[in-house]
Amino acid sequence: MYESPIREPLVTGGRTYHNITDDICRPIENKPTRAWMIGFTISAIMAAVGVYSIAYTSFKGIGVWGINKTVGWAWDITNFVWWIGIGHAGTLISAILLLFRQKWRTGVNRSAEAMTIFAVICAGLFPIFHMGRVWLAYFVLPLPNAFGSLWVNFNSPLLWDVFAISTYFSVSLLFWYIGLIPDIATVRDRAKGRARKVYGFLAVGWNGSTRNWARYELVCLILAGISTPLVLSVHTIVSMDFATSVVPGWHTTIFPPYFVAGAIFSGFGMVLTLLLVARKVMNYQNYITIGHIEAMCKVIMLTGSLVGLAYITEFFVAWYSGVQYEQYAFINRATGPYWWAYWSMMTCNVLAPQIFWSKWARTTPWFVFLIAAVVNVGMWFERFVIIVTSLHRDYLPSSWIDYSPTITEIGIFAGTLGIFFTCYFLFSKFLPVIAISEVKSVMPVPEKHDLKEAVNVH
Amino acid sequence: MSNNQYWKGLEELNKSPDFLQSKSNEFLEGIPMNEAFKEETYELSSSRRDFLKYFGFTVSSAAILAACNKAPVRNVIPYTFKPSEVVPGVANWYSSTCNACAAGCGTIVKVREGRPVKVEGNPDNKINNGALCAVGHAELLSLYDKSRFEGPLKNKVKAEISSIDKEVGQTLEEINAAKGNIVILSSTINSPSTLAAIGEFSKKYPTTKHIQYEEFSSYALLAANEKSFGKSVLPGYRFDKAKVIVSFGADFLGTWISPVQFTQQYTAGRKAINGMSRHIQFESNLSLTGSNADVRIPITPSQEGVYLLNLYNKIAASTGIPSLPVNTVEGPVNMIENTAKELLANKGKSLVVSGSNDIDIQLLVNAINIALENIGMTIDFTNFSKQKMSNDVEMEQFVADLNEGKISAVIVYGANPSYSYYNANKFKEGLKKTKLSISFATAHNETSADCTYIMPDHHSFESWNDHEAMAGQYSLTQPTIHPIFTTRQAQETLLVWAGINKDYYSFIKENCAAHVNGLNFNALVEKGFMESSTKEDPKSDKPASESNTPVVKHVAFVAPILTSKADLGVVASNLTKIDSDYKGKFQINLYEKVGVREGRMCNNPWLQELPDPISKVTWDNYVASSIVFASKNNLEDGGMVTLKGLNFGAEIPFLRQPGQANNTASVAVGYGRPRFDKMGDPIETIGKNVYGMVSFVNGAYSYNAYGATVEKAAGSYTLAQTQTHHTLEGRDHYRSTSLSKYTANPKAFQKQVEIISLWEDRDYRGHKWVMAVDLNSCTGCGSCVVACNNENNVPVVGRDQVMRGREMHWMRIDRYFTFNQFSENGSADKYRADFYKDLKVDTNNDGEANEKISDEAFENVSVGFQPMMCQHCGHAPCESVCPVLATTHSGEGLNQMTYNRCIGTKYCANNCPYKVRRFNWYRFNDHDKFDFHFNNDLGKMVINPDVTVRTRGVMEKCSFCIQRVQDAKLLAKRENRSMADGDVKTACQQTCPSGAIVFGDINDKNSDVYKLFNNERAYHVLEEIGVQPSVKYMGKVRNTFDEKA
Repeated sequence: MYESPIREPLVTGGRTYHNITDDICRPIENKPTRAWMIGFTISAIMAAVGVYSIAYTSFKGIGVWGINKTVGWAWDITNFVWWIGIGHAGTLISAILLLFRQKWRTGVNRSAEAMTIFAVICAGLFPIFHMGRVWLAYFVLPLPNAFGSLWVNFNSPLLWDVFAISTYFSVSLLFWYIGLIPDIATVRDRAKGRARKVYGFLAVGWNGSTRNWARYELVCLILAGISTPLVLSVHTIVSMDFATSVVPGWHTTIFPPYFVAGAIFSGFGMVLTLLLVARKVMNYQNYITIGHIEAMCKVIMLTGSLVGLAYITEFFVAWYSGVQYEQYAFINRATGPYWWAYWSMMTCNVLAPQIFWSKWARTTPWFVFLIAAVVNVGMWFERFVIIVTSLHRDYLPSSWIDYSPTITEIGIFAGTLGIFFTCYFLFSKFLPVIAISEVKSVMPVPEKHDLKEAVNVH
Repeated sequence: MSNNQYWKGLEELNKSPDFLQSKSNEFLEGIPMNEAFKEETYELSSSRRDFLKYFGFTVSSAAILAACNKAPVRNVIPYTFKPSEVVPGVANWYSSTCNACAAGCGTIVKVREGRPVKVEGNPDNKINNGALCAVGHAELLSLYDKSRFEGPLKNKVKAEISSIDKEVGQTLEEINAAKGNIVILSSTINSPSTLAAIGEFSKKYPTTKHIQYEEFSSYALLAANEKSFGKSVLPGYRFDKAKVIVSFGADFLGTWISPVQFTQQYTAGRKAINGMSRHIQFESNLSLTGSNADVRIPITPSQEGVYLLNLYNKIAASTGIPSLPVNTVEGPVNMIENTAKELLANKGKSLVVSGSNDIDIQLLVNAINIALENIGMTIDFTNFSKQKMSNDVEMEQFVADLNEGKISAVIVYGANPSYSYYNANKFKEGLKKTKLSISFATAHNETSADCTYIMPDHHSFESWNDHEAMAGQYSLTQPTIHPIFTTRQAQETLLVWAGINKDYYSFIKENCAAHVNGLNFNALVEKGFMESSTKEDPKSDKPASESNTPVVKHVAFVAPILTSKADLGVVASNLTKIDSDYKGKFQINLYEKVGVREGRMCNNPWLQELPDPISKVTWDNYVASSIVFASKNNLEDGGMVTLKGLNFGAEIPFLRQPGQANNTASVAVGYGRPRFDKMGDPIETIGKNVYGMVSFVNGAYSYNAYGATVEKAAGSYTLAQTQTHHTLEGRDHYRSTSLSKYTANPKAFQKQVEIISLWEDRDYRGHKWVMAVDLNSCTGCGSCVVACNNENNVPVVGRDQVMRGREMHWMRIDRYFTFNQFSENGSADKYRADFYKDLKVDTNNDGEANEKISDEAFENVSVGFQPMMCQHCGHAPCESVCPVLATTHSGEGLNQMTYNRCIGTKYCANNCPYKVRRFNWYRFNDHDKFDFHFNNDLGKMVINPDVTVRTRGVMEKCSFCIQRVQDAKLLAKRENRSMADGDVKTACQQTCPSGAIVFGDINDKNSDVYKLFNNERAYHVLEEIGVQPSVKYMGKVRNTFDEKA
């Protein structure tokens, strides 16, 4: 039971059950708005640029990027880690907050989960297309073959990534889709003509029976249980790409918790960025309330402080270790050729979120939007700093070199942004952006018997 | 063994005819073709089932084959009659002589299926003892050069050899009748048979004059030797016998006369740390030799004379010879004092050389060596040398005569004056006034473009020739490939024009008999060389020993000492004048680069991509100036400057070069020649030609430009450097110390590292291949780099990719600068560079050096070279991160790449602490953008068939020449023996002139490498990471002044 006189209501504006269904189904049933068309077109163009850049890279060779003999990974893996991190908020909201019975999650979980899936798609492109011979990418799968004992290398963190990310993607997709089924059924029931058939197909025969609901609840709980360790494990494994190496600045045991905190941090940044726009454009202020925003700001503040602590700890350990390579790596981060990246990261990730100590800052949507964007930029720089500034000056000074991206690399990054937003626009047009059934379960209950129902649901 | 016979059945025992016949069939029971088809009617007699079976098999196999057959069809034409010595897959080695320069190094050429694919030094030859320089290796690539002439030309139009013979013969007759002058202009020729052929030509045309012209001349040495010793030859230098070596600008390890030979001698005198020679270098630009010196004193070119005079006076004072009037020198006076002291203490065991082409300076050097009693000891006129023969005065006279129309015919053979003569236009104008101009060039060059007839010579790999580079060292060049194009050997052409119809092979054979006692020509061809027996003792003037072994006839020549004081008075005043005139003025000197040298092979991709040992710049020459000059004139790396000489001006890139003497700059000759595309058309010019800065002064060409200026010009230009960070950053992967410190604490190179490993140690039961690299021997010459490129089919990627940090070299030589400040009393006792106190100065970071370091200090740097290749780590970080097991560990300790399996994640390269892994960013071997040798049919002939050519998207790296290891293993197996130490030599080790690289089996307790691994100087680079590298480095010991002087 969520409703209480001292709690802020999770749905405001005195909405009824019927209103909710209407509100949330409206964008699906109406023609796309002008804003949607513009946004979608821009995103689609960016996505096309990305597809072109990826194709160009695949046909010409990785040489069209700016990487070199010393810096073997740069924007590619930076973007990969960034996107994977962004996905984490969705899983956290849908799984962990579900288990912890944080009812406020209902307003935002659907789009956060969608975001997870799109972000993982974008992320997955990078490790695939950064391969020199992408047409042989299937070599990383432990497929049976006729070469005797030819197998994959289970020692390699990159292989762990393959498992981690494919697991993550499939579980997230499943979770999201299962959650969508009751709402798709609602859309189906309201739709006519061909749309009814399509949604009918997608609703896989949902009829709203008690049995349906009971199974649904159970599956959601099980999937939440499976997803919960993934929130921690996926980014832990991604961090091991670096932590298990010998590169000074990478070889750090702090990476797993540090990366997970960073992932949640950036994920919430992205959720906020998207929802603040969506709630305005789609008029969802009653469902995504200031309370939601404030809660997420608090998460950002907490995780931002955690990554800040991690940065300082890294420096301390570098000094305390007495290893000159390690010490140099960190001094080089702050004062070397890429000092601007380091200080951008520090400003965006550590200083900026501290403003959320102020309630005004947490509750002013435009300001939150600004800080959320800053957080996303900062987290991109964090990955850039870790990857490029560690690699470009490692052990032997003879190989020290600088790196700068080419237009193709920038194009691919812009392209993944395009793909992400294109998917998001399509999602917001064709699927309910807010979980109708779940929101209904947490809205203020006008009548006693309704309250009982609500209790039965959870 | 039992003699019992077993039989399968009575048929076999009885040897029935049916059985014997069926035994010879491949299929015992025959193939039921007749059952499937009726032979007469071709009707199908098989069942429907059978039909489907056959049909299914045929269709599916056709489909599979069609799907596989995507590769373009290329025809391989088999031998109709296979030569008996050619076994496909097995290399033949032929002994020959290197023709890249006139040093006369012996070679053995690896020939696979009729094409030479690699050159190596001939281990038995006494000049180079198996080593070869970078240029020698790269000479092979010029055989497969697209810019070679495919046949004779007349006025740039294809012509027939016979018609040219006829026309030229006629014209020559006319000229001869009119008593017109004929000049054969060649580079150094020390081939007795070639000289004989020229002699035959001169007999027919008595007005012929043979002039030898070198682009980077050592004429002053010859002229001075003529004055001092009565013979215009180079002496045989013995750097191995010298305890103290003082060089005034002679880059004897890099470019001077015979660098491979000298490097071997030099390192021989330094292998044993106790008793190593001391090397003092006075020079202006930081040369390869200077960078190896124990003490290096930067001087300006104009100071060279006055430094030598002061040195002479110091020595004269102690030996009772009258001294010469001289200016006092500025700067560290003690250095001259110390040098003189060192030399006097080692009379007869010292050596003073100068690279200057100033006759006065060479006379003074001779005088010093005479005073030090070095003649006959370290300067050996018994085994004199003809490794660089030229006559600047004759050349000057020739060009003057040309312009006056006194020369009727010019035959250019090996020289390229239209490019390298300082007043090239004058030469070109003069050439136009001749009746007949003929070039024997093998490939397009500037002079051939100015000649009427081009009668292309065979490339040296297609030719016969003989050489006597040093007295008593007779060697042969034999062809290792059938001539690729319609060419004829130059000597043969001369013989034909002289009216002698004899092929050059028979001519050599006859001529050879005159040179070698007891000649067995075939044995000579097989061995490649002969020597006289007087070689070993330079002081001996005994005739060749009376034995049955064939020896080269060789007249011993003991130098009379002719120098008188009167000569030196003039010398002193000349040199003092130079000093007074140019004191304090900005000066430029020209030098040769280790790779491109005088410029003959300027378009050779291997040499262009070989980084300069000092600046690490590829594909360009540039003005390298002192830091002081750069700061004063506000010049920065990557900017363009205007270089102005007397009659010369060019815009050229600029580079600040630590080690360059203050207020001087240097610029390399040999550049400014075109690169050719795969069609053989010129596409771009590499660098700038600065031969215009040369002047003719005092009877010889001067490579010092005193009046030159360098000014800032508009535009920027990034030089492609393979190394952009130049200091050690206080790290100890390069360890060096001074001799006194080393003697006091020989364990100083060892670092106590306690390694805790989470991994199980590997068990190497058979071989465990390891490598030892002696930093004390390594001179940084880069010969190993080119040898590796050749052996392992390493692609050339060009300037643009090098600039992007993508050169593909499996082996690189890291170069680090450290400071050696003079202390106040002028001795270089403080090596501030000592490995624990390295100054953290980043000379590349926007020029912002540590405040404490003044610009002046940058002229006193010392240099460390560290060859770096895959370290074949025992616990290789690359292996554990590869997701697909494309890089794995072999049972013999090798870290191996499986190119087929590699998907190109680059994770291994990131995780390599040594950064030796190289990624194929593009398909370098077939890509129009990388129009180097890999990209045309001719250039591809150099590919080593034993090594895979890598495709795009895969990682590659040093394999410790696994193909050579396998080869040696197979050989040992075939010979039914176990492998011996030295059976496997990696390409880099094989060619290293200083013997700095030793490869072998550490499990063999008697191997050289085992001993070296237990040497007290041996250490692992980055031992503390725990990757257990298989390469050990032996720390560098510098014999600095601080101990004995």
